[in-house]
Amino acid sequence: MQNRREFLNLLCRGTILTGLAATTGLLVYRSAQSGNCQLGSSCANCGKSGKCNLPQALLYKETVWQLDPTKCIQCGRCAENCVMTPSAVKVTHVYAMCGYCDLCGGYLKPDTKNISTAAENQLCPTSAIKRKFVEEPFYQYTIDEPLCIGCAKCVKGCGAFGNGSLQLQVRHDRCVNCNECAIARNCPADAFKRVPASKPYLLQGIEAKNEEKG
Amino acid sequence: MIKDTLYRYLLPAFIVLAIGVLAWWLIYNPVKTFKSSVPGMDERKTGAVAVQKVNIGETFTFFKTCDDIPGTRLPRFRGTDFDNVSKENTRLIDSWGKQGPKILWKIPLGEGHAAPAVYDGRVYLLDYNETKKQDLLRCFSLATGEELWQRGYTVRLKRNHGLSRTIPAVTDKYVVTIGPRCQVMCADRLKGDLLWGLDLATEYSTEVPFWYTGQCPLVDNDTAIIATGGKSLMIAVDCKTGKKVWETPNPQNWKMSHSSVMPMVFKAKKMYVYCAVGGMCGISAQGSDQGKLLWSTSVFSPSVIAPSPVILDNGLIYMTAGYGAGGVVIQIKESGGGFTAELKEKYKPNEGLASEQQTPVYYNGYIFGILPKDAGGLREQFACYKASDTRKPLMISGKTTRFGLGPYILADNKFFILNDDGEMTIAKYSTSTFQVLDKAKILDGQDSWGPIAITGGYLLMRDSKTMVCIDVRAK
Repeated sequence: MQNRREFLNLLCRGTILTGLAATTGLLVYRSAQSGNCQLGSSCANCGKSGKCNLPQALLYKETVWQLDPTKCIQCGRCAENCVMTPSAVKVTHVYAMCGYCDLCGGYLKPDTKNISTAAENQLCPTSAIKRKFVEEPFYQYTIDEPLCIGCAKCVKGCGAFGNGSLQLQVRHDRCVNCNECAIARNCPADAFKRVPASKPYLLQGIEAKNEEKG
Repeated sequence: MIKDTLYRYLLPAFIVLAIGVLAWWLIYNPVKTFKSSVPGMDERKTGAVAVQKVNIGETFTFFKTCDDIPGTRLPRFRGTDFDNVSKENTRLIDSWGKQGPKILWKIPLGEGHAAPAVYDGRVYLLDYNETKKQDLLRCFSLATGEELWQRGYTVRLKRNHGLSRTIPAVTDKYVVTIGPRCQVMCADRLKGDLLWGLDLATEYSTEVPFWYTGQCPLVDNDTAIIATGGKSLMIAVDCKTGKKVWETPNPQNWKMSHSSVMPMVFKAKKMYVYCAVGGMCGISAQGSDQGKLLWSTSVFSPSVIAPSPVILDNGLIYMTAGYGAGGVVIQIKESGGGFTAELKEKYKPNEGLASEQQTPVYYNGYIFGILPKDAGGLREQFACYKASDTRKPLMISGKTTRFGLGPYILADNKFFILNDDGEMTIAKYSTSTFQVLDKAKILDGQDSWGPIAITGGYLLMRDSKTMVCIDVRAK
């Protein structure tokens, strides 16, 4: 037999517990509807991302960040703003567009008098572009990716004086695919966008056309 | 007890460890895997390049003949007056019309940027046939596009941003060409008979420029004027006999550029102005001192020079180049019969008028040109500057109307401007506003860089592989 005080205590506890349960349920329901993750962390660092069905998690699984070379203005911020060191953005060489020139605007500093592999003639601050003689008068240029910091100096030179065969791209073997890309946030040209993970690169030129056809 | 243990074991161990760390710190080289970037790492071949023996003018094929169209003349690079301005009275169209451009004929060409010269109804073009591996001087009928004859020679070339890139110089009697590997050929204008050939690489040790020869020959008083570089700076050759008339020494070993020789008259003295890889010079073109170096300067010496000197008034010369070179204005001065060159203006491509490939048009005190890709916000825009101030643009085409490396010509108070992809814009001549009258995509190809020719209402243009002739006469 409960007395009146015990009955009131039980009633209050029951009401509070019911209210808490209802509030929690409502919050969970709303978060599922709005797609906000209550964990407050990046999908990249979340162990549940494989099972999570939140919209942002689905987006994370199905898309990746990429840089549109047609919008890129070679400002150099890719080298400075990426959470990775060195940046996950690297230069990519579209060989089908390259002229294989001796005088290469992407390799040599403008107005270089002596065309050679001497450090003082090279545009790249880390010497990440390698140049090899093929046959007169052609030279092949390859990228030493671990050395590339994504500064875009070569991209600017190639675009200004050559065919534009050097293009910046987010390399997905390095990119951690942050929900909010630090470079995208600071890109003045709005050149970063999410692209399907099945087609993660946005190269321009003949190779890109071939890819579209294929 | 603890103190003894500390002194006996731990302290010596710590000292040994410290010495070890110090030794490691001194020995460790964090950049031992780095390699110095020094010349030669590209395995560039050194020494003399094997020179192919070329039998200039060895082949000839005759097809047919055609009637003259008197007065249709654009006989050389930049036309009769070296200014790329047509002064003919023929009224030209303002728009392409509902039917689009009226294409009279179209012919396939070898890959390149070589452009035609026109003389009295005949079109002359130095083409390269990749199948035959021949430089071919081809003569066509302007009216029909039918090929009349071709004179050529075998020379091996590899694709290198196009193969052909020069314009013949045509006179009443002669056609003079310079091929991609610096072979000069002179032929009879009407019949195509070979008169003489000259291989600059073997005769003058001329170094073939990057991406092959771009210099267009000049014929002045039946004398071919060629800037050779190598053993000589410039030579004059009699078109009739092929004999050398004069030769200018080249003590500074300047090299041939893609720029062409432009005549200039200053203080009643005619001279040939040339911008070599190494510097600019003026060479006497008349009198007893023909071929004498009158002045030279190295204030402007980029490693690649495609545009030609623009001769302004009062001894001023405007010169520009791409690859970050920008532009300069040179003042020629005369004192006691001698000439000197002084730098009046020099700036980067984003600070004033510059051009990477085409030579700007100077007309009525104004200079028109398309700015290069490294010109900042004005990149690839068509712009007008007063000749007295090449830093401040008076007119720009606007950021939504950009062109590439394509050519432009002024005719009937209109500019015909071609972009890289074969789209031709007709713009009204103005020094203050850019007004597009019409535009049309004419060619589907790429790299439409060969200069445009307009004469007698015929417009000739090309992309990398096709040349078309369009009727641009106004009704």
